[in-house]
Amino acid sequence: MLTRDLVLAALFTAIIVVLGLLPPITLGFIPVPITAQSLGVMTAGVVLGAKRGTIAVLLVLLLAAIGLPVLSGGRGGLGVFAAPTTGYLIGWVAAAFVTGLASEKLVRAQQSGLIQGIGFFVASLLGGVVVLYAFGVTYLALVTGLGFSKAFLGSVAFIPGDVLKAVVAALVGRAVMVGYPLLPQRA
Amino acid sequence: MRTLYVEGRSVLHRMPPRAKLLGLAVASIVLFATRSIPLLGMFCVASAAVYLLLRLAPREAFERLRPVLLTIVVVGLFTLLFDSAIEAAVFVLRLTSLMLLAAAVTATTGISAFMDEITRLAMPLERIGLVRAADIGLAVGLVIRFVPEVLARTQAIRDAHHARGLKPRMLTLAVPMIILTLRSADEIAAAIDARGLRGQN
Amino acid sequence: MDGIRLDIRFERAEARYAGRTVLQPLDLALSERRIGVIGLNGSGKTTFARMINGLVTPAAGRVTVNGFDTATETESARRQTGFIFQNPQNQIILPILREDIALGLQARKLAKPDVRAAVDAVLSRFGIGHLADRRSHELSGGELQLAALASVMVTEPAILIMDEPTNQLDLKNRRLVVETMQGLNETVIAISHDLELIADFDRLLLFHEGRLAADGAPAEVIRHYRDIASA
Repeated sequence: MLTRDLVLAALFTAIIVVLGLLPPITLGFIPVPITAQSLGVMTAGVVLGAKRGTIAVLLVLLLAAIGLPVLSGGRGGLGVFAAPTTGYLIGWVAAAFVTGLASEKLVRAQQSGLIQGIGFFVASLLGGVVVLYAFGVTYLALVTGLGFSKAFLGSVAFIPGDVLKAVVAALVGRAVMVGYPLLPQRA
Repeated sequence: MRTLYVEGRSVLHRMPPRAKLLGLAVASIVLFATRSIPLLGMFCVASAAVYLLLRLAPREAFERLRPVLLTIVVVGLFTLLFDSAIEAAVFVLRLTSLMLLAAAVTATTGISAFMDEITRLAMPLERIGLVRAADIGLAVGLVIRFVPEVLARTQAIRDAHHARGLKPRMLTLAVPMIILTLRSADEIAAAIDARGLRGQN
Repeated sequence: MDGIRLDIRFERAEARYAGRTVLQPLDLALSERRIGVIGLNGSGKTTFARMINGLVTPAAGRVTVNGFDTATETESARRQTGFIFQNPQNQIILPILREDIALGLQARKLAKPDVRAAVDAVLSRFGIGHLADRRSHELSGGELQLAALASVMVTEPAILIMDEPTNQLDLKNRRLVVETMQGLNETVIAISHDLELIADFDRLLLFHEGRLAADGAPAEVIRHYRDIASA
């Protein structure tokens, strides 16, 4: 792996950690607050692409696992992975990968800003919602014995917030690309 | 960054990380292999005993568990409502036990101990060309090193907003923060390569 | 490293970036103890410096450092040089200073006490022994630049290349770095906008638009530079 890729991933991990220190954003019409950190995870794929984005997210989980309070709210340690929502943490990795891969495939330099933004949005939706929830809901279903449909029912309230996150991730991704383009290029 | 490791000389402290991680893995298998509430109950009590024997200050001990405990309770209630009391009890006992044991491992294992173990575990992956074991330690070091810088930069951007009478919003904060941080990647990478730190010298 | 003659050669070495030639084919031999490199931004001086330690490899021709080809024997060539970059913050990459310096010795597989001794020795050499166990992000700009010096000198390279070492520093910190640099036995090649820094060097190289525009004693070359800069 190129040193530059390693450094980019690690720096983005630092960004994700710092985003965890920012207060969550509450929007009136959405029942659950959006953490800046989960937005950061979605944005990793959009900004860095599949390989670097996945490494960045893996690093966050590794840091949490070895006992650093890097998850939003100062959470950390192996205990965090004993929660029923652990599926979403594992899902972060798959989400970053899918978002990154989709971004690399969908977004091209010659496209207009709007098309690029839409491309990033679709990528964020695929990774940050579809894939993420696949992991999150499945894990929840397995660990509670509830079965997929009931587990999904319990998670459905969070979806609108995550769709909104996908919009913001796309906007951030597009804006970052204007200032410091890493995509569209090979990761 | 403050770590969750707590100094001490207990049995758990002196156990090698690999043994503790293996222990957790075995515990998970055992916990999910049984549905007997009395058995799970005993396991839970035993796990609590292990955690309490660490003698963390009561407030600290609880604070560490609170976020996870909260999600376990909420999901437990959901399970109670949408399934059965038995399912809910099994679920709560299983995850609570795991949480307590995991928290005990975290409190008794230092970062360097973990990193040494991870580097060792990554050796076989290195042999198949997937990753360089030393890169993991380097990456972790890089993150810890630069978090304070990124934080300082974020605060500087926030201050710049206030100075111009603007309210900092996610977009106007995140974008410059990301760009400025990623821009230093080239020079940091060049410095690493110039020193031959990735096994070249 | 006394008695080892420094020998850097450019043999029709040329550098390209994104299809453009940033350094025209250059023939040069360096063996002086203090060499300054000046020029306007974009003149090719930074590319030139980075070709000496192999960060940039020649698109044509070759560069050798003490006999090692920077393109085909990059590791051996790099071992001859230490490179200091502009921004001190980007050079110390581990959270505790001691760890960062020690990282440079990793390849030598020394015993822990020997590593500790070497780290302490090099930090003391630059007057920052007392900062060994400090957190990197708590160090000042000047302390970081000295730390960067320690981090590259711990492996005892013969040649030190510095790219605008005092650019980001305030007056006090600048002094610190300059004085330290003056006391070095190793060969120093310094790119600098800070003309005062290099005014008493043995040889100055002036780059302009990818070419070596002047080469010789400082006074002469600086005069040439002023002419170019005011053109």
